[in-house]
Amino acid sequence: MATLNAAISASASALSAERARIEVAVSNMANAESTRSANGEPYRRRDVVLTSDPVNSFDNALGQASATGVKVADIVVDQSEFQRRYEPSHPDADADGFVALPNVDQSEEMVDMLSAARAYQANLAAISMIRDLVAKALELGRS
Amino acid sequence: MNGISDVDVINALRRQMTIAAARQAASAGNLANVDTPNYKAVDVTFADTLDAAQVATNPRHFGSMTNAGQVHTEVAQDAPARRDGNTVVLDQELLKMSRAAGDFSAAQTALAAKFRLVRYAINEGR
Repeated sequence: MATLNAAISASASALSAERARIEVAVSNMANAESTRSANGEPYRRRDVVLTSDPVNSFDNALGQASATGVKVADIVVDQSEFQRRYEPSHPDADADGFVALPNVDQSEEMVDMLSAARAYQANLAAISMIRDLVAKALELGRS
Repeated sequence: MNGISDVDVINALRRQMTIAAARQAASAGNLANVDTPNYKAVDVTFADTLDAAQVATNPRHFGSMTNAGQVHTEVAQDAPARRDGNTVVLDQELLKMSRAAGDFSAAQTALAAKFRLVRYAINEGR
């Protein structure tokens, strides 16, 4: 049963990690046109770095089967070039009339969000399968 | 048949349930890391342990392996990696999970039947 608890913890950790990915993708899309941020330059897109994280280190130490969870290691700022658009009337335009816009690519964020949503779904399916297993095991003690 | 408790059969069923649960846990871990760069999918290996246990004792004692907890995981070899170095295949892991659930369910049903027989004997057939 300890193994199954570890499995549920692993899937639960994935749910929060995937939710973090969706949150970051959404805030990137929300700020796709933000030309000002706290440090004065346009918004820079964020990226989530995931890393695997053993949930039951005791079983791992024994070399036995154990589930591996996942966690958000870091949220990094994408340092790639800003996009530039010719818009002389914009208050943030430079001397040549170009406005620096965030380095956010809408389609990239959409793809990222979809893949996170699919992974979330898969982990939910995994949790319900494990829950059925636990219920089935508990039936042995009944009647 | 050696008595009403059939320890061998019960041990074999218990081992099947342990292995199914370990498979389930390994696949859950793989699914959790479906988007982790450079993560390598793990697989449950027990065949070596089973062979070792069977050689050590009488081969007719099919359920005599007592160390059913000794299930190991191992990085799956020859799995093709994606561009980010990850080797998890989503549908295969889900398939493995439902197969493990089926194995577990089968063993549980058989074990419940076994226990019912024992109870039947204890209650003198009532």
